[in-house]
This record gives sequence, structure tokens and C-alpha cells, in this order.
Amino acid sequence: MDKRFRQGILTMNRWLCVVLILFTSLVSLVISSCSSIDCPVENTVSVQYEIRDKAGNALPITDSLSVVTTRADGQNIVLDITTLNNGQKVLLNRLIDKSSFSLPISYSHPEDVLFFCFKDSVKTLVDTVWIKKDDIPHFESVDCSAAFFHELTSVRHTHNAIDSLVLINTSVTYDVQTVHFYLYPKTGN
Amino acid sequence: MMYKPFISISIRKLAISLLLLVSASASAQLKFFSIQKDSIPFFRGFAVSFDLVGLAMMELSDYGQYEGALRINLHDEWFPIAELGYGKANHSDDPVTHIRYETAAPYFRIGIDKNLLKQKHGPYRLYAGLRYAFTSYKVDLARDNLTDPVWKWETGFGVKDEQCNYHWIEIALGADATIWGPLHLGWSLRYKRRIAHNDGVIGRTWYVPGYGVDGDTRLGGTFNVIIDI
Repeated sequence: MDKRFRQGILTMNRWLCVVLILFTSLVSLVISSCSSIDCPVENTVSVQYEIRDKAGNALPITDSLSVVTTRADGQNIVLDITTLNNGQKVLLNRLIDKSSFSLPISYSHPEDVLFFCFKDSVKTLVDTVWIKKDDIPHFESVDCSAAFFHELTSVRHTHNAIDSLVLINTSVTYDVQTVHFYLYPKTGN
Repeated sequence: MMYKPFISISIRKLAISLLLLVSASASAQLKFFSIQKDSIPFFRGFAVSFDLVGLAMMELSDYGQYEGALRINLHDEWFPIAELGYGKANHSDDPVTHIRYETAAPYFRIGIDKNLLKQKHGPYRLYAGLRYAFTSYKVDLARDNLTDPVWKWETGFGVKDEQCNYHWIEIALGADATIWGPLHLGWSLRYKRRIAHNDGVIGRTWYVPGYGVDGDTRLGGTFNVIIDI
């Protein structure tokens, strides 16, 4: 009687073990198939500019600035200028009373051509800026939008209102803290 | 005549307690690593196993792996193990981002398991173990006709045969049971930590053969059919 009882317990233990194994394998399958979407919150790739005076201090712009570019279909468009207002991002067509701003950068064109239009109550001065760059595909996950990072290689410009445009940092990523260009306007404009 | 002790009594007590603690911990460690003394031979043979979870993932999703392992049984206590697998992902066209991702490569893990049960030679085993794993893989990534939101140029996005590699460690907790003769069934839960990686120029990779989806859960699992040979 005692022997049969023991055998019964052993058989029951074995079946319990098999059930436990199947249950935990199901749990592990669920764990391995679970996924979460983890895309970066800051997912805008843009070029940061800072306007400076000759002494190297931040110089809020007194003229209004708008930036124009030519689209693939040949149409000229005004670029959105992003700046911070009380810590909040603001999109503008014209920038005034700010010393820092950011502009979009093309996905994969070897050279961006931008027209910087400085306008006061009397006149408008336009400078053309050519920015050469290398484009690097950037991937986070199949769930996140495709993006391009960039390596700025050179910049040249006309000198109507801009005295100089100095390339400080060449790497353009999601990082909005890094300034890429110091823009020195001509004095008296 | 009274002699002043060279070391104060409290420091001496502390030193003695520390020595006792170290020796107790050392003896516990020695006990953990020692082999139980009995009439069972030290070398108990080999076992091969196949993972069914990776296979199920391959069937049910667009990534997964085929995986087998060779395990050495040392006195039913220690189990050095080598796991070999082939992982692949074919995410053909994401409905939202339209990104295609492909990779296929072998991977390996080496490590050791310890049977934690007191009754080492019984039909059941409970393991804790550690693995080092490595894979070297190439990634094809593409997103066709990506339109620049500002300039409206259409461009291609992607890389071909981007060489990447991944090193990681896994802490394993598992169990197995003898079902019949040489046949066992067992599962293991894994906690994975990446220790080094190279994702090429693209920033990150998605599915890593053997590891799973990068940046996703650090937990994984296997369900093994094990045959003693």
C-alpha cells in the first residue's frame, strides 16, 4: 500500500513538472515576443546658428531675418526658423530679437543653398549661403522613421550683410544643444 | 604591573570577527564549487538539446533562431555548455515606416550551469548558469522613395552588407525533467546584458542574431528538448 502510494506521488510529481515546464515555456515565449517601441523624443535633425558680435558675445538680431531656399520643383519657399521662447520651441517665418536659431538641413543633397534675407524698415540685404555636407543614414528601429545625420564639410557665402559664417561643429544629429555656426553680421547693418 | 595592550580590545574583536566571516564565506564558496562525494562517476556523458522557442518565433514573427547545444554532465552538478545557433530576421516592409531590415548570421554562447538541487542525481534539475555570447552579422537596411519634407527631393535610404558585431553575457535560470529514458524537457529564463558592440555607420541595429531585438526587453527564454548521448 505504502509502495503504491509513493509511486502515485512520483507519477503525479512528474506530470506536475511537465505541466510546469509547458507553462513556463509559454511565459518565456510571451516574454521573448513582447516588444516596446523606443523611438527618440527629439527626432529633428537641424543646424544650429548663433549670432555673435566681434567680441564673441551673443547678439540679438535687430533686423528681421527670413531664410529662403529653392525646392526640387523650382519653387522658392521660406524655411521655418526654430527658436526658443521661454524655453518652448517656436516656429517662425521671420526672426527678430533673437541671437540663436536653427534651420532644417536637406536629407541627401550634397550642397544646400540658402538665401538669408535681412530686412529693416529701409532696405533688404540678401546673402547666399552654400553648405556642403556628407549625409549618413541613421537608423533607430524598424518602428522609428528613417533619418539622416550629416557631416558638414564646408561653407561659403556672399558678404552683403554677413561678415563671416564660421563652422564650429561639423556633426549634425538629434542634438539641439550643439552650435554648428557662428554668424557674424557686418557692423552698421 | 599592568601592561597596556598593543591593540585595543574592540579592534581585536573586530579583526577576529572579520577573519571568522572571511573564513566562513571562503568555506561556503569552497562548498559551492566542490563536487559531492559519492559512488557516482565524475564524468556522466554528453547531452544535445534543441530550442523550440526560437523556432516558434521564426514561425510566428519575422525574426527568430534555430539553436542547438552540447552539454557535458560532470557528476550531475556542473554542466559546461556550448550553444550554437543561426538567427535571422526578414522584416520585409514595415506598414508605418516602410523600412526593410534583413540579417542572417550564426552565433555562439559558451558557459556553465550548476545544478542547485540537493538531490543531484534525481530525475529533476534546477540550474543557475552564466554565458558569454558573440555574433558577427551583416545588415541590409532600406527605405525606398523617402521624400525630403522641405526640399521634396526623393532619396533612397539604407545600407547594404553593413558589418556589425555584438558581445553579451546571459544569466540563466532553468529546470529540466527526465521524461523517458534519455529524453528530458527543460526551460531556461535568460537575463541578457550587452558588453560591447559595433553597429556600423547606421547608429543602431534592430534584430541581433541570438540576442533578439536590441533595446527591447533584456529577458529571454528557451524551451529545450534534451537527449542524453
